[in-house]
Amino acid sequence: MQRLRSLALNPDGFAFDPTTGESYTLNATGLVVLEGLREGLSSDELAARLTEKFEVTAEEASRDVDDFLDHLRTFRLV
Amino acid sequence: MTKLVVGVSGINAVDNPGPGIGVARSLREAADLDVRIIGLAYDAMEPGLYMDWVVDDAFLLPYPSSGHDTYRERLLQVQERTGMSFVIPTLDTEMPFYMKYRKELAGLGLGTFVPTPEQYRLRGKDRLGELARALDLELPRTEVVSSAEDLERAVDRIGIPVMVKGAFYKAYKAFATKEALSHYHKLVAEWGYPILVQEVVEGDELNVVAVGDGEGGVLGRVAVKKMWITELGKIWTGVTIRHPAMLDATERFMAEYRWRGPMELECIVDGDDVFLVEINPRFPAWSYLATGVGVNLPARMVRRALGLPDPASEVRDYPAGKLFVRYTYEMVTEMDRYQNLITTGESGDRAREGRGAANKPGDAP
Repeated sequence: MQRLRSLALNPDGFAFDPTTGESYTLNATGLVVLEGLREGLSSDELAARLTEKFEVTAEEASRDVDDFLDHLRTFRLV
Repeated sequence: MTKLVVGVSGINAVDNPGPGIGVARSLREAADLDVRIIGLAYDAMEPGLYMDWVVDDAFLLPYPSSGHDTYRERLLQVQERTGMSFVIPTLDTEMPFYMKYRKELAGLGLGTFVPTPEQYRLRGKDRLGELARALDLELPRTEVVSSAEDLERAVDRIGIPVMVKGAFYKAYKAFATKEALSHYHKLVAEWGYPILVQEVVEGDELNVVAVGDGEGGVLGRVAVKKMWITELGKIWTGVTIRHPAMLDATERFMAEYRWRGPMELECIVDGDDVFLVEINPRFPAWSYLATGVGVNLPARMVRRALGLPDPASEVRDYPAGKLFVRYTYEMVTEMDRYQNLITTGESGDRAREGRGAANKPGDAP
């Protein structure tokens, strides 16, 4: 989580890791999830936020959150 | 303010750039130092010889391998001609000379800020195992070889592919023993022994440039991630980073080895694994990046060597996320500059009298 919190994140969805120099681009959904993670939200809370902001079902939102977390693990950000 | 006349080598700003131009620009940008730059070159076509907005006067030198006496004699001629009082060698092949004659040169009025021969040996490519342990870094499996038979055995033990590395410069990846042997012979012919055979590790290339004060402290350090490299492995685009393990390793190196002078720590990083590649005993070609983010290492080094104070404006730290972009640039100048270099071995203000200087970036065409 420390790595995630240290990311420099701009509103357009560009994230820069000042430790490794890696950079990432996020779509609108990813940006909402990443900001939520940095606030300390749980997976359920993240899915709920997605359903508030986008026209998706709770099931789809939950799947998107899990998928996004898998990506973060691949990049060793969580 | 007294004019400080500083000799800088490695002004070969080519596709495999020497560090000299970045060092010279850094010194020029130090507002508290009134510096005259003397470029020390080995070939009349080194671009720095013609960059008179960076280099004031330039001289051709014989290669250090042509003999230390000849080299020293030429250096003293340059000193006599220019009043040069400090030299920053930036090429690996020059280091043995400057370390060996450091005290003698100082006695003749030529200051340097270089490591001792012992410090230099301890960071040698044949001592990487000890170095990695001391710095708490990992080391790719590495063997030092000095014969073709040794090389074949090392390749068998490490397994293909391997990196074959020269004593001073160059490293090649080999995907077969025959290919490794071919690289070995080429490197021995060019740079001599020892040759290193090393396991290939994948990851990001992260480097640190720093200057040690010779008493265990660091005058400044900046880390970079190489984002784009040339076919020769040289950085073309990079970004400043703050990688704790690499910055810690740099500080530990300075403390343990009491390193005096510039250095470059090269690592390959894969997640939490930080593999030591090598430590170069000089400024790297990208060191202007540090100056660009407020850590002017050449200026700090010169001030420390001459006992001058750092100005209050000097920052101790730097921001991550600053981009380094190298570019190519052309100039058109008079042929007689080249002719003068060939015939007299020098160029500069006196040699330029009577004709216009080359255009510099920002000048109207």
